[in-house]
Amino acid sequence: MKQIRVGLVGSGGITHVHVPAWLELGATVTVFSLEGAEELAAQYGLSVAASLQELLAGADIVDICTPTTSHRSIAVAAAAAGKDIVCEKPVGRTVVDGKAILGAVREAGVQLYPGHVVRYFPAYAAAKEAVDGGRVGTPAVLRFNRGGAGPASPWFYDVEQSGGIIMDQMIHDLDQARWLAGDITAVYAVQNTAGADGAGDGEPARIVSAHVTLTHVAGAISHIQGVWGPPGMDFRTSFDIAGDSGALRFDSAADTSVVRNLPAGVADSYLPPAGVEESPYLTEIREFADAFAGGAAPRVSLEDGIIAVAIAEAALESLRTGQSVPFSTTHVLTSEEVPS
Amino acid sequence: MTAPIRPGRLRVAVLSFAHTHAASYIRHLAGRADVELLTADPDSAQSPEGELRGAAFAAAHGAAYADSYQEVLDWRPDAVVICSENSKHAGLVQQFAAAGAHVLCEKPLATSVADAELALEAAAAAGVRLMTAFPVRFSPAYQELRGMVRAGELGDIVSVVGTNNGWMPSDRAWFTDPELAGGGALVDHVVHCADLLDDLLGVPAQRIHAVSNRILHAQRGVTVETGGLVTITYQGGVIATIDCSWSQPASAPTWGGLTFTVTGTKGSVRIDPFASHVGGFDALGAAWLPYGADLDSLMIDEFISAIQAGRQPQPDGGSGLRTLEIVKAAQASVASGQPVHC
Repeated sequence: MKQIRVGLVGSGGITHVHVPAWLELGATVTVFSLEGAEELAAQYGLSVAASLQELLAGADIVDICTPTTSHRSIAVAAAAAGKDIVCEKPVGRTVVDGKAILGAVREAGVQLYPGHVVRYFPAYAAAKEAVDGGRVGTPAVLRFNRGGAGPASPWFYDVEQSGGIIMDQMIHDLDQARWLAGDITAVYAVQNTAGADGAGDGEPARIVSAHVTLTHVAGAISHIQGVWGPPGMDFRTSFDIAGDSGALRFDSAADTSVVRNLPAGVADSYLPPAGVEESPYLTEIREFADAFAGGAAPRVSLEDGIIAVAIAEAALESLRTGQSVPFSTTHVLTSEEVPS
Repeated sequence: MTAPIRPGRLRVAVLSFAHTHAASYIRHLAGRADVELLTADPDSAQSPEGELRGAAFAAAHGAAYADSYQEVLDWRPDAVVICSENSKHAGLVQQFAAAGAHVLCEKPLATSVADAELALEAAAAAGVRLMTAFPVRFSPAYQELRGMVRAGELGDIVSVVGTNNGWMPSDRAWFTDPELAGGGALVDHVVHCADLLDDLLGVPAQRIHAVSNRILHAQRGVTVETGGLVTITYQGGVIATIDCSWSQPASAPTWGGLTFTVTGTKGSVRIDPFASHVGGFDALGAAWLPYGADLDSLMIDEFISAIQAGRQPQPDGGSGLRTLEIVKAAQASVASGQPVHC
């Protein structure tokens, strides 16, 4: 197989799981970033591009790992250059951004897949297979939890840039709820924030939690809690899926495949703890790369990514209005909003 | 003007066996040297065939039995424990409070806010103590959490998720009767977590949103909600959600449980008061051998001790009223599709 040339845009936290996956697949990786490109390249033995144009010129696949608001312009440029694209979630900061990307991708005849990596975490994939196979009957009540130390980069806490915890972090479980229990008809959300312990006056609220309640077309109801907690808080996810003939439960903290009891202690890490199984980021990127090479469509589409953004937008509207917000997937995908 | 306590043993009556917790309360009361016990279940005549009620239930649990509530009143109880169908709670509170008996009432305190207020007024007017049966308050796990919160170990509380999932009640048909129970899972399983929130936060609920459905157990023809999610915004901004669904499959080795995860500015603590068990397998499948404190016993002890000491037992009638207000707001939110402001 021809060696894949990947153009990576950005150098933030998520690149440290994307780059090893690309290298594992035998790709060469060139990075362009407004900052941190040299350090990342040195760490993994990558090349550095001086501009986005230079990066696009030497890449077959573009991997977008930048802050959310820049996804649209980079994706549109990459599509126009005829590149297939991996784009971190959320695929756009707004549905309008997402649909502009969709238009550009269709126009150029390239593929773009959003990094809804939770679909590739083995526990979630196993639950999906079981639910689709009827193991728990009709899904009725679903709960999802995701939390740990909040992200280190300040832009995550700026709602204009990131969309806040709902758009950036909980979008994983908004997508999971829809993946497992189907389309959504109503969204309700609440959020609470507080300053981190010891934070000075005027510092942004670094402790954030939101709850989102979804009503599904088929009648199921879902609850999603997200937490950006204080530094050092363990990252943990869980789900509970109750159907009319069974219930499934997963808690990442209850995985006992390797239990360490070592007096020297384990260093804090911002990223989810590495499991003993294959990295879900590798599973994800391999599936995307196979699709780019003419293989089967991945388990997540660009449209899925746009709908996840739309659910998050509805949740943000609910935060603003204090009301439950009606939702229609069909409306999201067919409405005539013209991207500006 | 608390009613005087006669010297010697406290006369305590268990009223109705509609709620099967009556068996546990009888056991704990009968085991006390300082209590004289009488029971009555006159409404059992209207209960469905096959449900062990009335004199037969009392006999099975070795308790003295009276044929009517009037007979209990004539016995002049110092205190009563009400285990009737939900819709009959408030009437019994009023009747026995007026007769000077302190009251421990099964949850929910009533099926309407007006009834609950009447119950509180009746207790206040008679100078008797009213306690609501929220046994989870007495769990060592909750007490540990409460202590940590009070000591500031979690920082400021930001967000709470409570779950109270169990088997659908099936040993008594009234639990799924909209009139007698006042509703389904929202009525049965919101109040325990709501009471913990009430105790922990000490501030009123401001906005309540709820969704529910009837997918679970639909094949059994249930007409009340069997699944529900209630989100509460409290004064001061704390957000909390309670999953009250009857979502424990019948094949599970235990009835269900309650979890309560509190996230603050310093991190989070999750409690699971019914988690302690020895696991394994027997011929039928997974085995579940629970162990740990008997919460009903601790709750009965608080009720009796408080009455003996002339103090107000906790959780009180006020918690019963406030948690019911949350249930009623949740029901109103389900009906309107929008949150309800308190």
